[in-house]
Amino acid sequence: MSTLLTHIAISDGKIKRSSLEVLSHCKQLADQNGHTVEAVIVAPEASSFTDEVQKYGASKVYTVEDPIFKNHMNTPVLKALAKVMEQANPYVFAFASTEGTKDIMGALAANQQAAVLPDVSAFKFTDDGIQAKRPVMAAKIMANTEAKGDTILVSVRSGSYDLNESPTEAEVVNIDFSMDEGELKATLREIISASGDTIDLNEAEAIVAAGRGVKDEEGQKLISELAEILNAGIGASRALTEAGVYDPSLQIGQTGKVVSPQLYIAVGISGAIQHVAGMANSKVIVAVNKDADAPIFDVADYGIVGDLYKVLPPFIEEIKKIKG
Amino acid sequence: MVPDVNAPIQIKEGKLIQDADRMILNAYDASAVEEALVLKEKHGGEVEVVSVGAAKASETIRKALAMGADKATHITTSGDELFDSGSYARILAAFFSDKEFDILSLGKQSQDTDSGLTGSMVAELLNLPYTTNAVGLEIEDGKLIVKRQGDTGQEMIELPTPCAVTCSNDMNEPRIPNLKGIMASKRKPVEQIEIDDLSMDDSALEANTQVVSYEEKPAREAGKKFEGEADEIAREVAQLLDTEANVL
Ligand SMILES: Cc1cc2nc3c(=O)[nH]c(=O)nc-3n(C[C@H](O)[C@H](O)[C@H](O)COP(=O)(O)OP(=O)(O)OC[C@H]3O[C@@H](n4cnc5c(N)ncnc54)[C@H](O)[C@@H]3O)c2cc1C
Ligand SMILES: Nc1ncnc2c1ncn2[C@@H]1O[C@H](COP(=O)(O)O)[C@@H](O)[C@H]1O
Repeated sequence: MSTLLTHIAISDGKIKRSSLEVLSHCKQLADQNGHTVEAVIVAPEASSFTDEVQKYGASKVYTVEDPIFKNHMNTPVLKALAKVMEQANPYVFAFASTEGTKDIMGALAANQQAAVLPDVSAFKFTDDGIQAKRPVMAAKIMANTEAKGDTILVSVRSGSYDLNESPTEAEVVNIDFSMDEGELKATLREIISASGDTIDLNEAEAIVAAGRGVKDEEGQKLISELAEILNAGIGASRALTEAGVYDPSLQIGQTGKVVSPQLYIAVGISGAIQHVAGMANSKVIVAVNKDADAPIFDVADYGIVGDLYKVLPPFIEEIKKIKG
Repeated sequence: MVPDVNAPIQIKEGKLIQDADRMILNAYDASAVEEALVLKEKHGGEVEVVSVGAAKASETIRKALAMGADKATHITTSGDELFDSGSYARILAAFFSDKEFDILSLGKQSQDTDSGLTGSMVAELLNLPYTTNAVGLEIEDGKLIVKRQGDTGQEMIELPTPCAVTCSNDMNEPRIPNLKGIMASKRKPVEQIEIDDLSMDDSALEANTQVVSYEEKPAREAGKKFEGEADEIAREVAQLLDTEANVL
């Protein structure tokens, strides 16, 4: 019997849904294979989240509490996770694939001499390791990848698994942690543009994404209006984050975020493979583009061929009507 | 060096069939080179590029030299090895372990595999402070100031040197080498070394992850396309999102 450890990411004082997706999957795998599933929370008030984590079936929850974890910094996080790994001795340590995870996966694997499969869309056990599906070549192709070893780290794209409650009574283990200033190899000078109360795109139910076709403030206003009535997050193609029109945190695609909302509306986006890599897993895709041959229409369920400045106003009006 | 994701790819019996001539300089590495050149222009110093790869990698090394890098090291492989990010990281760490440098700059990920592991692995193996996903770099009082793209916002992080950083292509627009740069690159030194020249255990080369097969990603089916009067098709799709797709 081995341990599957799941990392629970906290963002804005909440557990990230993608972490619970991973935990749900780990619980299921553990039940099928006779393993145990445990969880780790590294956050200033880690113990306040243990109740919610129990609901998803973790039999033990490690908490590492320290004010230093308020903002992501790789040195303290690595130290904390290494400490937990030494105690929990997991066979598999699974993460949601966030920027915070991407910042430390390689280092943690090197530190623990673990095998590592980053950014997978599915994983399962084999006889002597785990097998995962990883989108490669700008997500055009799926690679079936295997990892072997005594310890395997894996990170999972958001939206890959459904939430599945399975309440248990978990043992909570608080891990002592302290870090001297001197140990901190890097200094966090400032947080520049936390998008604040905007919707977390990784978890958004709906996203309205703007591309180069959205040329001016009038266009951006239409995007905002549409997002507002749908309670959607606003995303953008690289063309507009590069131009400084939208915050780089909103970029969707290979360099930006991989998202999987119920509804994705691409407005004035051509559909370059690097953009599609980030949104092709959306449930329903709507595209608005004046070029009938734009590649975005190849992935769209509903393709509206037309000028966004003419299409969006009646589209918004009609949705308003429907929503009453 | 990575395969061009825009080149035609076929999958035959689980293997990837690609045009060997369509290898390019990884976009994220091109941004790392560009930023290094900008820092050199401002602060002086030298830009050296290091690549681990088969003979073909010399072309991408040339490209970096033509952009303006001063010299290069090519750690040669046969190209048949089954290396993963861990193997490359251990090779790079072995190479850098006795070298002096201020900033070790890598791409945030390989464009073909999107692994994004090598940078922080090398940093850990060399015990260097590091940060990933840089969208801007500055040098101030001998420190590297990194603007990092995090999950929701950006962070300004100060690293002492020597340090490691991985670069996003959102950082800059890599320069296209001009004729002068291309001519000059031919006179720039490229040192070739073999992995055997590095003091490494064979076991350190072994990959603990491996691609067992490739498959087509089930393509999304293109749905309905609506053409005609903007007002009408807009309203029609809005209705369908409600009644057919059930997402409103
Ligand atoms: C390594 C790498 C990583 C990358 N990562 C990303 C990434 O993460 N995200 C990303 O988005 N890109 C990424 N890119 C860039 C990507 O290749 C494209 O350049 C980018 O997505 C193009 O953005 P766009 O569709 O907004 O612009 P364009 O390709 O210029 O398309 C604009 C579209 O708007 C339409 N249009 C114009 N006017 C109107 C109008 N009035 N009404 C309706 N339609 C109109 C046009 O027909 C056109 O199709 C990456 C590239 C590389 C090399
Ligand atoms: N064979 C290699 N030679 C030189 N640099 C490499 C090699 N493999 C990976 N890297 C660097 O590590 C980065 C991330 O690689 P990866 O972990 O494959 O996504 C790349 O952008 C390169 O900067």
